[in-house]
Amino acid sequence: MNAPEKAKLEHQLAMVFDLNKCIGCQTCSVACKVLWTRDEGMEHQWWATVNTQPGKGTPKNWEEMGGGERGGAPVAGHLPTKEEFGGGWEYDFDRLFYGGKGSAETLRPTKGAPEWGPNWDEDQGAGEYPNSYYFYLPRICNHCTNPVCMEACPRGVMHKRPEDGIVLRDEDRCRGYRFCMEACPYKKIYYNHVRNIGQQCIFCLPRIEQGVAPACARQCPSRLVFVGFLDDKSGPIHKLVNEWKVALPLHPEYGTSPNVFYVPPLSPHRLKPDGSMDTSAPRIPIEYLETLFGPRVGATLDKLKAELDGVRNGGSSEMLDTLIAYQWQSLFGPFTEDPAELAKAESANGGE
Amino acid sequence: MSSKATSSRSRRSRRAVRAEDSYSGVADLYKEKWTWDKVAWGTHCVDCYPGNCPFFVYVKDGIVWREEQAGTFTQIEEGIPDNNPMGCQKGAAWSQQLYSPDRLMHPLKRAGERGSGKWKQISWDEALTEVADALIDTIREDGPESIIREGTPEIAAVTEAQRFLDMIGAVTTDLNGSINDFASGLYETYGKFNGVSEIGDWFNSELVLIWHMNPAYTRIPHFHFVAEARYHGAEVVSIAPDYNASAIHADAFMPVRPGTDAALALAACQTIIEEGLLDRGFVVEQTDLPLLVRADTKRFLCASDLDADGLEDQFYWWDSGEGALAEAGRGSLDLGGVDPALEGAFEVELPGGERVEVTPVFELLKARLNEHYTPEQAADICGIDANDIRWLARKVAQRRTNIMMGYNSMKNYHGDLMERSMALLLGLTGNWGKHGTGTRCWSTGLLDGIAIAMAKEQPGLEGAQQVMVSALGTIEETLAEDPSLTPELAMIEFQKQVAQGLGGFSGGMGENVVPAAFFWYYHCGYREVWNRREWSDPAMSRPFDDYVEEAFDKGWWGELPELAERAEPRVLIECGGNILRRTRGGTTMLLEHLWPKLKMIVTVDLRMSMTAMHADIVLPAANHYEKIGFHIPTPHLMNATFSDKAVEPAGEAKPEWEIFQLLARKVSERAKQRGLTEYRDWRGNKLDLGTLGDRYTLDGALEDEETLFDDILRDTGLSGALPAGTNLETMREHGHVRFVDWGLSPMALAQASDVKADEVHVPFRRHTEQKDPYPTLTRRAQFYLEHPWFFEADEALPRHKEPPKMGGNYPLHVTSGHIRHSIHAMNMTNPVLLQTHRGHPFCFLNPQDAATRGIDDDEEVKVFNDFGSYQVPVKIASSVRPGQIILYNGWEPFMHKGWKGGSDVEPGMVKWLHFVSYGHLSFWPAQWQPVPFDRGVYVEAEKVVEPVEA
Repeated sequence: MNAPEKAKLEHQLAMVFDLNKCIGCQTCSVACKVLWTRDEGMEHQWWATVNTQPGKGTPKNWEEMGGGERGGAPVAGHLPTKEEFGGGWEYDFDRLFYGGKGSAETLRPTKGAPEWGPNWDEDQGAGEYPNSYYFYLPRICNHCTNPVCMEACPRGVMHKRPEDGIVLRDEDRCRGYRFCMEACPYKKIYYNHVRNIGQQCIFCLPRIEQGVAPACARQCPSRLVFVGFLDDKSGPIHKLVNEWKVALPLHPEYGTSPNVFYVPPLSPHRLKPDGSMDTSAPRIPIEYLETLFGPRVGATLDKLKAELDGVRNGGSSEMLDTLIAYQWQSLFGPFTEDPAELAKAESANGGE
Repeated sequence: MSSKATSSRSRRSRRAVRAEDSYSGVADLYKEKWTWDKVAWGTHCVDCYPGNCPFFVYVKDGIVWREEQAGTFTQIEEGIPDNNPMGCQKGAAWSQQLYSPDRLMHPLKRAGERGSGKWKQISWDEALTEVADALIDTIREDGPESIIREGTPEIAAVTEAQRFLDMIGAVTTDLNGSINDFASGLYETYGKFNGVSEIGDWFNSELVLIWHMNPAYTRIPHFHFVAEARYHGAEVVSIAPDYNASAIHADAFMPVRPGTDAALALAACQTIIEEGLLDRGFVVEQTDLPLLVRADTKRFLCASDLDADGLEDQFYWWDSGEGALAEAGRGSLDLGGVDPALEGAFEVELPGGERVEVTPVFELLKARLNEHYTPEQAADICGIDANDIRWLARKVAQRRTNIMMGYNSMKNYHGDLMERSMALLLGLTGNWGKHGTGTRCWSTGLLDGIAIAMAKEQPGLEGAQQVMVSALGTIEETLAEDPSLTPELAMIEFQKQVAQGLGGFSGGMGENVVPAAFFWYYHCGYREVWNRREWSDPAMSRPFDDYVEEAFDKGWWGELPELAERAEPRVLIECGGNILRRTRGGTTMLLEHLWPKLKMIVTVDLRMSMTAMHADIVLPAANHYEKIGFHIPTPHLMNATFSDKAVEPAGEAKPEWEIFQLLARKVSERAKQRGLTEYRDWRGNKLDLGTLGDRYTLDGALEDEETLFDDILRDTGLSGALPAGTNLETMREHGHVRFVDWGLSPMALAQASDVKADEVHVPFRRHTEQKDPYPTLTRRAQFYLEHPWFFEADEALPRHKEPPKMGGNYPLHVTSGHIRHSIHAMNMTNPVLLQTHRGHPFCFLNPQDAATRGIDDDEEVKVFNDFGSYQVPVKIASSVRPGQIILYNGWEPFMHKGWKGGSDVEPGMVKWLHFVSYGHLSFWPAQWQPVPFDRGVYVEAEKVVEPVEA
């Protein structure tokens, strides 16, 4: 860990994803894809992903790949391969539609049968019917307070911006050594095989600088992504993370102090062997959730349930009202600018 | 996985050489990706109903680069979350379809066998000439009724294509018959299927039953209201066979055995009556349950029983206060001081002196529930624990309950029984016509200007006024003739007249609309399939054909069977649809039976669909963002949502409005050259092709799409649905405008609630608050259907029936629905969305079912039954119920080997009872008619050992 750098950090941007609102629709991932990662060499890059948990996720088995920080130093884990990310499939529409082979052709990826992709194990989950269970886990770069990717880079191409804590890469100086990819325990760095560089989420920097919330947050139709500065005591992020403690980091044991937090998932009552409901046991095993969100997850869920019971009995809850977000804009802290208005103003200026 | 510690001291020291400035260079690279020449309003005017998501479209260098939800809704009602930022991944990736390789750019002519993939690019003039000549040939040789359009709700195509086809006398299949989104059980109960609440009203629920719906897949832009209602104190219960993406957000998951939902609902009803939880006031006022039924005939006691001059549809209660018969009002639900009995048996004297026993429907219902549907009995049927059924029933009785239902129940053979049972549960507990309650299906209307613009004979507001005066005049006459009618009832009468060819405006659904089932019956080979006794309800005592013959011979369907029979298909115009993907029976039925009869198949589309691939002429349509349009207006959203022309159409594509103008002109030109201009349609109306080109645009007045859409908006202002004066400029400024009233259309009036600016809409409040009657035979929510066929089926009252073994006696029960990543086939080939799943089709199986068949994850299986087969890879998931196979729909058949898709195992059976005509059970467009079923088809799946040879 580099103490002097950390001291320079003035503010830290953070996000809270409320998993009780996430429906796995992939709008965040698609919004990001369409905006940032359509160039050549980025076919398999999805800076925002949503996976079904339990599952192998993306890259495949990322939770078993190692990395992170131990004893103050980055740990080099497995370097995820192109196959482990998967996806980036290409299709030959021309041959299908205009090749003259009729129904002998089928629309399938041209380079052989796909074996993995960014959302391969969608909705498969775990458990035994009818006590099956799963939930959706959206992930972006955690813009960690201890960014091991930055620590691991021999060329120093990574930079944690002091004003907002965004971890940014100098793509011009990157030589594609991929130590960052080994070190990142969340496996959220992608290798651009055309430009021979690493690439990752930029927290929608050009938007943030204009006061616009990141695309994954602003385009989330389920209104579950909170954006703001962790130290803004009036903002929902601070309240959810620090005050009410209902939002938890993912894999805190990785040691990088991630800045994306999650309201953990509730789940329906389990069914007993005779088919009747058992309201005492959670459907998602708490042991499993602890592997993701650490030992506090049980207490967090209890707190959430207590608040729910309260409103069901006619009470009120500031915490639940915050999660409801009666006003959509209340999710985004200071980042409430309308990108279309800015673009209109910009094009009006450009036209003069 | 092993980890190795990095010795990084030297690496770290190099960081000192980092130049701060270089970061600004990189930031510039991304900033360049975040600069735009232009933004424009956009939405996706496809049938992603209810949709209406306002987007901004971002343009650079004349190309649409991306889009983003506008997020411009203001909060409608204090205390209810706003609607922002409505949208989904399909909308957020629509731009990627504008320039994707399956986008149609040029007119194409088939250069080999149909479906061979051999094409010749031709000019627009050549293409239009070919189509025009085929139309003229058909009109001359077979009559205009041999020109067929498949009805679709694709709003960007309907108006333009329908106007042209109506003007030449072509036949359109009813769109609800084509899309199968007709909730027959809701219609049987309420006389309308289209009551829907505005999305924000979900937040008002205290109990949300997600039942026959998977809103996490199908209502992505709106699902947050479910999660937020839960945070607001609501309990959420998922009733479904599989633990689906919506169930994970429920408090309780009730894993119902597929096809047995009626038993579950009826047992909950039994509990409610048994435990005295009935909302008696609601039941006696709003439903037919207190109406008296004769013990001898099982028919309602009616005025004509008591007096030869009495009405056949005047029914009676037993007034407990007076101890005497009382007329149940037809013009109002107000009890007028009467205290109708729900229980007991009474004697009535008929004119001849004969005394007959009468009992309220409720008495019959209670006896049936107690006999067959105690929770214990139902538990054996539906697999839900009896005490859990009671737990559910008590909650429904105590809480404002909303049954979140989509379009699933209605696709079951006995879906009407399920819907009637679910409606009964809500009826017994007073759960409709109030905030946070009710069921839902689909509805439209509101943007009346579309129908008005298509009906008017001169442009501008004067022309619109003439149409309005004519329509309102007819309605006023109807109201004067029968003062017991409400405007809603009068408008339905008017629409029924239109459907019988008696003039008026068609609401844009077509002048010559026939129930799609009739067309399939006569021309597409379904007659044989529907006569398969073993795939039908065993309660039928006669062959299917006997019932159809009876219905048609008795004139229950007027001239519609004759029109359908005359529509011997010669030309198929597909515009905004994909008949070969969608139709139950799939390519198996249509390529074999319909295609050989067609001399010309024309497909107008944005993209190369399965139907386009089997067409003779393919015409490229402008995409959304390349033309002006609106999303399907709907009470779910209450907004007219605008899509502007942000860029020029790609390639040679043209907006449908221009395509059909050009075609109309070409037809006129060719008809004059060939000396055939005047002819008569089946009704004897004289039609003229010579003036068609001019008439299509009202002599050029509506030629320009700007003028057309400006007119549509202004005319809607005139009808009262939009604020007066709303025009194109208003839309360009605001992108979406909230409707202020229902306007004229019957589907909008069916909401039967007053529109309020600062309150979310919930339907049927005029029934519950103003006591307006329902458009049913009894003028009440009607649970008793006393038609002889319903008696034969023992379905006069709601009940459970096991699904017939459609497709054959196979072990896997098919369930289906819209998949997450595509609306129908519309987004299936989107290059970005293809990456969000497995990149190829899949079906879901439980691990146990896969293991017993030796199937591994992602292995290709052959799904088959006695009707057909297709190939699909398997996805194994424990969320799927053993014995269930989920075949989500929408995959293009060409994504499967051999181009057979999920529809090819669906025989598309229809229920014979839906050929009945009785009281409110009579046809008008998009309403009462037989529609095919695809849920509850039975199949087997086996591993494909040898792949299909190329």
